[in-house]
This record gives sequence, C-alpha cells and structure tokens, in this order.
Amino acid sequence: MSLWVDKHRPRDLMKLDYHKDQAVRLKSLVQQSDFPHLLVYGPSGAGKKTRIMCLLRELYGSGVERLRQETMTFTTPSNKKVEIMTVSSNYHIEVNPTDVGIHDRVVIMDLVKNVAQTHQIDSSGQREFKVVILNEVDDLTKDAQHALRRTMEKYVATCRLILIANSISRVIPAIRSRCLTIRVPAPTESEIASVLQLVCKKESLNLPSDLATRLAKAADRNLRRALLMCEACKVQQYPFTSDQKIPEPDWQQFIRDTASMILSEQTAKKLGEVRQKLYELIIHGVPPDMIFAGLLKELVRNCDMAMKCQVASHAANYEHRMRLGNKPIFHLEAFVAKFMAIYKKFVEESMGDVF
Amino acid sequence: MTSNVKKEKKWFKPMFDFDDEEKPSKKIKTDKQIQKKQESNEIVENEVSETNTGGKEFIIKDHKHWMKTFEPVNVEDLAVHNKKVQEVEDWVKTVSNNNNSDMLLMTGPVGCGKTITLQVLAKKYGIRITEWITPLDIDIPSENGEYEFKQRQSVRFLDFLLNAANFTSLLDGNSKKLVLVEDFPNTFMRTPSEFTEVLLQYQQRAKSPIVFICSESHTDNKNSASNIFTPSLKEQFNIHHISFNSVAPTNLRAALKRVATIISKKHTAVYNTPTADVIECVVNSSAGDVRSAVLNLHFACLKGGSKQNMDTSIVHGKESKSKTTRKKKTSKFMSLGKDESVSILHGVGRVLNPKVIETDSGSKKFTHTPEDIVEQFISQPVSFVNFLEENYLPHFSNIDHVDKAASALSDSDLMLAEWREKMCQEYGLYNAVASLMLANKAPVSAWNPVRGPKNMKIQYPTVRELRLLEENYLYKGKILVSDYQTYCKIISNKTGT
Repeated sequence: MSLWVDKHRPRDLMKLDYHKDQAVRLKSLVQQSDFPHLLVYGPSGAGKKTRIMCLLRELYGSGVERLRQETMTFTTPSNKKVEIMTVSSNYHIEVNPTDVGIHDRVVIMDLVKNVAQTHQIDSSGQREFKVVILNEVDDLTKDAQHALRRTMEKYVATCRLILIANSISRVIPAIRSRCLTIRVPAPTESEIASVLQLVCKKESLNLPSDLATRLAKAADRNLRRALLMCEACKVQQYPFTSDQKIPEPDWQQFIRDTASMILSEQTAKKLGEVRQKLYELIIHGVPPDMIFAGLLKELVRNCDMAMKCQVASHAANYEHRMRLGNKPIFHLEAFVAKFMAIYKKFVEESMGDVF
Repeated sequence: MTSNVKKEKKWFKPMFDFDDEEKPSKKIKTDKQIQKKQESNEIVENEVSETNTGGKEFIIKDHKHWMKTFEPVNVEDLAVHNKKVQEVEDWVKTVSNNNNSDMLLMTGPVGCGKTITLQVLAKKYGIRITEWITPLDIDIPSENGEYEFKQRQSVRFLDFLLNAANFTSLLDGNSKKLVLVEDFPNTFMRTPSEFTEVLLQYQQRAKSPIVFICSESHTDNKNSASNIFTPSLKEQFNIHHISFNSVAPTNLRAALKRVATIISKKHTAVYNTPTADVIECVVNSSAGDVRSAVLNLHFACLKGGSKQNMDTSIVHGKESKSKTTRKKKTSKFMSLGKDESVSILHGVGRVLNPKVIETDSGSKKFTHTPEDIVEQFISQPVSFVNFLEENYLPHFSNIDHVDKAASALSDSDLMLAEWREKMCQEYGLYNAVASLMLANKAPVSAWNPVRGPKNMKIQYPTVRELRLLEENYLYKGKILVSDYQTYCKIISNKTGT
C-alpha cells in the first residue's frame, strides 16, 4: 500500500486540482512538439514535480511512468568516486545533484553529457530529445551552476533540462535567462481543503470541513504535508471529529523546545546546550533555513513590537550570511547569542521598571 | 654515522649499499689507464692529484664527524628521559636472549634521540646493528637500449632483512644481532599491503629482532609511522611500540653542558667554551631537538667570530616561553634555531586564554599577538576557526561578550567561504582570532579540554527506513525529513500493528 500523497497524485495535466489556467498553457506548450529548458520554481509542496510529470506524460505518453532506479558512479577530478541515485524512464532521467555535496558539478556535467550523447532509438514516433530533471537547483554550488550554463547551450539539440527550485533568487541570472521560468505558487488554504475532501472521497472517508480547514492551516500551505497529516489523522482516529489532534512534524516540536530553552535562561552555558540541540537538528537533515524560520517564529512571541523588529532584522541578517557561508551552525549560534543578549537586556530593563 | 662503525668490521655487505668507495675509483683508474696510454707526461701529475685528494678526504672525514665527538657514549649521557631509556633497555634485554623475530617500533619527533638511544644500548649489550639503507634504483638502459631486469624493491628489502637477521659475522664471533630499519623503501608508502607481506615472511623465517624507527611530525600527513604501522598491523605482528617525546629543556641543558665540558677539555683549539647564557639560548631556540641543538652550539662556539658579534645576534624575547622555566627572560639566536611550531590545540589555547602583559610604558599587550597566531595557522584557516568555534563558549561568562564573539565568527565564516580570494582567508582568520581575544572581558578560568570540531555529516533517512514510500520515486532528503518522516512513522506504526 502506498501513501495517499503518492496514490492520488494527478497524472494528467487536465486533472490537476488548482492552477488550471497554467495547466492549459503547459499543455499547449508541449503540443508544439518542442519546448525550451524549463525552470520550475515554487515553495515546497506546491506541486512542481506533479506538474512536470504530467507534462512529460503529455509529451511521451505513459512510457514515462515506467520508472527504474539506478545508482550511477562518477569520478571527480581528484579521483574520488561519488555515487548518486537516479530515477529514469526511457525518456527522462531525474537526479538530486545536491546529494553529492560539493561534487555536484561533476555529476551535472557528466550526466547531461551522457544523456545528450545518446540519441533516441526510434526518433520517428518520439521526440528527438530526452529530458533531464534536476532537483534543488537553488542549492547547487555556484561552480555547478556555471557548469550547467555551458552544458545547457551545448547539448540543446538532444536534451532538455527541467530545473526545479524553491526560489530563483539563488539561481544565477545566466541560468534564469536561458530557461522558461514557471512559477508554481503554493495552493491557498481553501484549495488544500478541497483537495483533502476530494482525496477522502476517493478513499470513501468522510472528512468534516472544519477539520479540513484546520489541516490546511496547520500544513502551512504545503499540500504534501496536508495530505500526510490527513492520513496520519485517519490512522490515529477514525471517524474524524472536527476537533481532533493534528500531529505536527517532530522537528517543529524540537525547535519549539529549543526556543523555550533560549527564553528560559540567557547565559553562555545555556547557549552551549542550545548548540547541541542545533547540531542535532542539522545532523538529522532539517534544513538550516527552516530552523531559522522556526526559531524566529517561536522567539518573537515573547517580544514587544520594537524588539520584534530588531530580532527579525538580525535573523534576516544572519540567515543571509548563512546562505553565503559554509557552516550553518556559526550563524545559527550567532543569532541565538544575539537574541539572548537583546532579550536579557529587555528583561533586565522591564524588571528595573517594576521596582 | 652508523654505517661508518659498521664498515670497519663487516663481512656482510649490503647488496646495494652506496658503494661509492669502489666503483667510482675503478672508473677513475680506467680513465687514468687510458690517459696513461695517451699522454705519459701527465702520469706524475695524476698521481699527485690522487694523493692530494686522498689527503683532503682524510681531513674532511675527520671534520665530517666532529659531531661524533659529542655523541653520548654511555646510557647516562643520553638526553632522553630516563624512563624512556629504561623502556627501550628492557626490550633490548629481553630480546637479546632469545632468537625470535621480535619487532619494535620507535616513534617520535625529529632529533629526540631515538636512533642514538638504540645504538648506545646495543653497544652496552654487545649487539651488532645492521641497518637497511634504501638503494638508489635509477634504471640505466644497457648499451642496446634495454632496461635491465630489476628486482622489486620489496623483494630486495626482504632478502636484506633475512640475510642480516640470520647470518652472523665470521669476524666478530658475536651472535647477538639486530636489524634496524629507519629508511623505508618508498614502495611501502604506496602499497602498505606489501609491507605486511614482508613482515609475515620475516616473522616466519628470521631469527633476530628488528627495530623500526619513524620520525613523526604533527603537520605531516604522509606520516610513515601512522601510515604503515596501522594499529591492526601492530597487533597482528605483536609490535612493541615506544613513542618518544621531544627532549625536555632540563635534559637538553644537561646534554649541552656535557658537550661544553668536552669542548673545554679537548677542543679548545677550535671552539670557544660556551657560556651558560649561550647554552640557554640554544636550548630555547631548538625546541627539544638535540641534534639541531648540538649543531647550533657548534656554530655558536666556533672560533673566529668575535664574541661581541654573537651577543648582538641574540634576540631577547620579551616573554617566558614555558611555565616551567623560572627565567622570565628567554632569548634566542637571530640566525639560529628552528621556527617555533605550534600545534592547533596550543593555538586554540592562546586565543581563548589570551595572556596580557604590561609593557614598560604602562600599556597592555598580548603575549601572543593575533598577528603571530594568524601567521602560524594561515595555511589552515578553516580548520582553525572550526576549532575556535567548537571551544570558545566555555571560556565566556557574559552573554554580551558571547554575542560579539559569535557574531565575529559568523563574519569569519562568511569571509572564509570566499576561497577564491586569498586575502579573504587571512582576514577571516584574523577577524576570528582577534575578536575572540578581545571580546572576552570576563573570562572563566577553568580547565576546558579542547574538543575537535563536530563532524556535520547530514544523515537523511533512507527510503528503506520509511516503508510506505513508493519504490521508484526520487525523494529529496530535505523533504523526507521535513514532511514524510514523522507521518510515515505514525501511519506505518498504526497499520503495521
């Protein structure tokens, strides 16, 4: 059995639940038999990948759904072997180049080269190009992005790239200008709620509309999360009640604990403990930007308006540095230290006012 | 030095020792014969020149080994710590009595007296040492342009070891012997497995103990000791490991005083007798390296230079270098001595516990300025800053100071990330070092062991762990963590049971 998210994923452009106008345009794009490189971007859980798979199906027929997994090996210039998992059909190949960290440049260059050098076997009935899907393009190193720019131009005759990113602000302008950028906005809460209703109907379950709205709210406009939450709710308690508990992701709880640690005591010793928590989050793969956002959200609850501004601006500053730097922990810790200093001063002053 | 001792009474000749005594002279002779045939006039001149060079060699030989006169003769003369000597002596004693292929590994920094300890002890117990010297194996094509077949390095090495270990000299009638390897054939650096093979053979076939000596330095990644002698190898062959530390200043001072007495007794013609001041300088500037200390002393005491010159070239350091020396003032020679090398842990200590001294004018100053520290670690800024980041927190008491420090570290990371610009590396390091030294106004004085930076390898859950995922679908690690993980657990738990 598979998860609802995977089971009820729409497979046809015309069957998408929202952004229907965009779907029609996408359909007409591929009907002209050729299309430029695409850069699809939008927040997590908005349906980027779903749309891309629909697009490919429109293009190549149901053959793209016969997927196989393969581990490919590449050799870096320093003679290190890196392995990367790929998923491919006869017509396309998909890969997360960021899985190999700083060696992403080699993977991109070799992979695109490999794909581009082999032509389709029977080009009569099919398109004469293959498609390479690259995930998380905004997290690629600058080096890899520049390499991508060259490869894009060189092999344009035999392969098309579909790049997926959360935000294009970290994609270099050279790539942005070479691609048709397609924005997939996050679904609104009412759209999520209606999708949830639809899925529950297919599962022949009865979902109270109150719960649907609550789920949509809790999921933070992330449809994938909403569906997972909904399924988890169903497993925990069915029939649904409109006020039942919605399980939240582990890491959110963890971040909340960390935030309350920060608020409880503002000392160097406490910061040491907070650092261990942050390490744990990072090592378990929670993206540092989500840690930043989560911490900020929890911390500003206890601040007055003037301080909120101050804290938010510092958070933005350190988050920006984290993007440019190498070690997220440095900047997370600097932010926490800054907050502790500000908050301590604030508490001392308000205490002074009391007496 | 060792080879010379051996050469006097050696029946067993290493197959590929540098035989620079025989072959070149032969060649010269043949050359001369040709010359003789050609021009009889020059014979006399040639012969004269030959004797001349011979004479010169003799002087040089005499001179070349001036260091020998200062070498320790007895166990008591060794600058090495008594306990260490005892450790080696115990091993030598137990081993000299049985004919097993026992193995010993001696490691330590350069010039800490590893080899000489072994030699002195071997002499004491009447053990003959045969040392392996890696031959030069340059392939010279024969006349028809083909390369001669050569044995593999490891095969020659093993042959030598077995010969040296199993056959005694007819000349000295002494059955106690020991094989010494200080110079490892470089084939073992490339393929350590070959070395294991050789050791295995040696263990089965040889009847003498063998000693390996490795110099080690903390900056060297291609450390032969750690590279070849892995812990598993040591265990497999039951290799006894004795590791030396660099010589303590007191021991070094004692050794140099002994040298001074030898000078004043025998060599007053060549040397000025060194004063206590000079010895102190040499001790300070040699960083625990006996060999370089003796060399420095030799240079410092040579006659010819006026004494005043020597004094001016002594740099008076402002700080005391180690806590154990009572003298506040330490001085170094300008032109002598090694550069002080500071380990990364040491450097971290200097940054996090900065010592401030007052200068004569009343202003305060760091004993180790940020510039000095930056200079030491400029080749590895990132790892040094990582060390600082890992360790700075326990030294701080006030959160405002921590804020400053953490902010500076964040800046540094930003600068260090720009690896294309060399200046950024230096600035990043400088920023981190200087601001950590300055930020802490209220340091905590407690013993804080230095920890290494944490390994931040992110471990995403695997698809196999989360059973419900679709098999042929490419999931992103981030998404797995942020969305799937929690709910997959909930869903699979309930449906599974």
